[in-house]
Amino acid sequence: MLYHDVVVVGGGFAGMRAALSAKAAGANVGLISKVHPMRSHSSGSHSGINASLKPHDSWEVHLQDTLKAGEYLNNQDAVEILCKEAKTEIATLENFGMVFSRDEHGFIDVTNFSGSSIPRTAFSGDSLGHILLQVLYERIVREQIVTYDEWMVSSILVDNGSCRGVVAREFKTGDLHIVSGKTVILATGNLGKLYQFSTCSLTGTGDGQALAYRAGASLVDMEFIQYAPTAIKRRGILITEMARAMGGYLLNKNGDRFLKSYSPDLMELAPRHIINQAIFQEISEGRGEGDSVFLDMRHLNREMFSDQLRETEYLLRDLEDLNPEKDLIPVQPAMHRPIGGIQTDTKGATTVPGLFAVGECSNNGSHGAGRLGGNSLLDNMVFGRLAGEAAAGYISCDSSKIELDRVFGKEQDKFGELFNRDSTDELPGMLRRELSNIMDVHVGYRRDKLGLENALKLITELAARTKKLGISNKNAQFNMEPQMLLELEFMMQLARVMVRSALSREESRGDHNRTDYPYTDNSNWLKHTVVTQVNGEDKLHYTEVVSTRWKEMEVENGSHS
Amino acid sequence: MEVTLKVKRYEFGNDLGSSEQSYTIEIDGQDTLLDALLQIRDEKDPTLGFRGSCRSGFCGDCTMTVHGKGAITCRTKVEEASKKSKDGVIPIAPMKLTKVVKDLIYDDEQFHWAKIKATEPWVDVASTVPDQDQKISNEQVKELRLAMSCTQCGLCDQGCVVLAIDKTYLGPGALTKAFRTVHDSRDTRYKERLDSLSGKRGMWDCAHCFEASEHCPKGIEPTDRIFDLHDKVIKEDLGVGGAKRHYKSFAASVKADGWLDEARLAIESEGLGNVKGILRLIPLAVKAALRGKRPMPYFLHKKRPGHKKIRSIFEKWEVKK
Repeated sequence: MLYHDVVVVGGGFAGMRAALSAKAAGANVGLISKVHPMRSHSSGSHSGINASLKPHDSWEVHLQDTLKAGEYLNNQDAVEILCKEAKTEIATLENFGMVFSRDEHGFIDVTNFSGSSIPRTAFSGDSLGHILLQVLYERIVREQIVTYDEWMVSSILVDNGSCRGVVAREFKTGDLHIVSGKTVILATGNLGKLYQFSTCSLTGTGDGQALAYRAGASLVDMEFIQYAPTAIKRRGILITEMARAMGGYLLNKNGDRFLKSYSPDLMELAPRHIINQAIFQEISEGRGEGDSVFLDMRHLNREMFSDQLRETEYLLRDLEDLNPEKDLIPVQPAMHRPIGGIQTDTKGATTVPGLFAVGECSNNGSHGAGRLGGNSLLDNMVFGRLAGEAAAGYISCDSSKIELDRVFGKEQDKFGELFNRDSTDELPGMLRRELSNIMDVHVGYRRDKLGLENALKLITELAARTKKLGISNKNAQFNMEPQMLLELEFMMQLARVMVRSALSREESRGDHNRTDYPYTDNSNWLKHTVVTQVNGEDKLHYTEVVSTRWKEMEVENGSHS
Repeated sequence: MEVTLKVKRYEFGNDLGSSEQSYTIEIDGQDTLLDALLQIRDEKDPTLGFRGSCRSGFCGDCTMTVHGKGAITCRTKVEEASKKSKDGVIPIAPMKLTKVVKDLIYDDEQFHWAKIKATEPWVDVASTVPDQDQKISNEQVKELRLAMSCTQCGLCDQGCVVLAIDKTYLGPGALTKAFRTVHDSRDTRYKERLDSLSGKRGMWDCAHCFEASEHCPKGIEPTDRIFDLHDKVIKEDLGVGGAKRHYKSFAASVKADGWLDEARLAIESEGLGNVKGILRLIPLAVKAALRGKRPMPYFLHKKRPGHKKIRSIFEKWEVKK
């Protein structure tokens, strides 16, 4: 049986950062990932990482920008840690060998990003994510951390209410393994595959959220879904915000920089939800080119495309036969990332003892109702480190010997039953496509009661059909069918929680837009939506927003723009 | 458009052998081959095995062989791939040179990741405390970012003519990764790294065929990155002697006579003081002579017409350096 003090699930930014810090704290660490860590969704994150590095900036200003972007649904204790720790984290990455773009003096450069009042985002041209992922992987190799590549966790071992490890399926052999551990850190990332028009990679099926939920942890603020303004039309592949940070414009079909009517000061660098609103408004009032608007980079110089925006140029050339130096790029907002996730404290601990969560799959309240551009990677680094340290130092108060054989036997039976079930005419992939269409239409950027209730009905029907699906190829080796089935079950469960949360929040705030409740309602809704599974039922309750020093900050009721 | 994909199937312990299966689907020609494979798996055949992750050409997971040539399937459009054959059918197979695990999935651990790891691919900085104020020039950042835009897709290794006959060679993929650490001025193990990369199966096994650069979908020019490593080793006078002497002799010969003097190259590569090595050349020389190839000892070597021009190119370049 495999054992690690700390079992990390997920090989993206948050998972690798957590693994490195747990290892540095002296723990024996194992990292399980559904794809090779270098193939993680993080590779496609091209934005930047916020830190108040420069003399004109301070963590307090960073905090205030974060609260504004989160429309004050942020837990201020978490935001304070996020903004205070940012500088040290950047310096640590620099020591890891991270290659940041430099200013003319050779020091780390910063640029303007969505929602920031001053330039604060460190970057590496338009490929920070890809480069950071490599640097973290380099450290994983250096520290000789054991990785289980192409293994998928199918359940979390919980005994006596405590987390004791995971059961994982090795794709190559099809074998099930127990990976037991003192603690487990979930860092499985996005759930974007619940949507069809999403910037997410194929791996983003919400595994961690569903695993934690099944293990008894709570999910919080699951109604908030952030959209990215500039995805390539029809494909949902993201053109990085760096295109706007480097000076790109957004135009409607008349060639007007339409943001002047929505956010005349910040223009293309307004908070993301304002840009999204503006784009949808332009389109619905007939000023879009069909269902898209244009990203205009024609005025940027050649040098920019040979270095800082090189990946963007390649992407557009390969997929769209467009040259950003000459052509307008049709773009539209696409589902980008969930704001909500597994509820944790600022050390990543969930309500299940021994179970931690970090990164996109988790939520400690730092992003509130909408995320400041450049804070996501920072969240992964800062809270990844803290969770790794906390997990390494975790002392279990439960020393009873877990009945692993019994739990393992149950899991084996589950897969045995799956393989025995004959396949029907319906295929898991078809049901996933149906699910993602429901989510796009009814639980997308704009929602209302009628649509959400309809979605709930449709999802319940789909879930029943999912239960009948079987596996057609009985050979276990590198058989992707069990994975697809498992992911589909995870997604069905999460879809239900998301719709219930969205139905309950009768206001519009940040990345939750109810057309039937278009106003932000601070007197009733300055609170988190929490869903927990009790006896197989989704139970909803609310928790207060953690306000520390910034209690007096002006919070206005009013129309949500 | 309606399109047919002819896909290689393989399953361990199953009698598929090297069978092929054709799938005909209705798809937008602007969609990618990865989109097409996903559609097949979702709507027709969930047993089809292939890798894929980011869908946008940044993770390197979905590399396959299309029309006999390595391709990133999420950056290859269906219509374009279909146009390449007369009947419009798109043949898709797993990567070459590597062991197939299932259908289009290949074993990348030994062929790829193990070699990356063998180069000790991390930067060791001098500072032990976090330090945000380490200076790097923008020029160097640009070069490092270019090398690091590598997605480890493996296409350069697929094209490499040396790997095709010797799979133990590090290959252009791993050497590009090595360039990233060697070229980073913050790293403290510069000479040690160059020394070890100069060893057997390392940088000097490169055959200068430029196939790696031809195959790279990101324009990283891995062949040039290997040459960068060569230059650094020669400049620092590191590594095993033979390769460096070979390089120097090659250049000196062309500079002196306007063309390559093979006898001189052979003798100088072995090293003038290396009696044993030079004696080993004698049977080779005899064999060459018997086949009508007579590389004359280099003091008798004729100069190429116009050799003065070539010498002046060398001299200009040397002054520039």
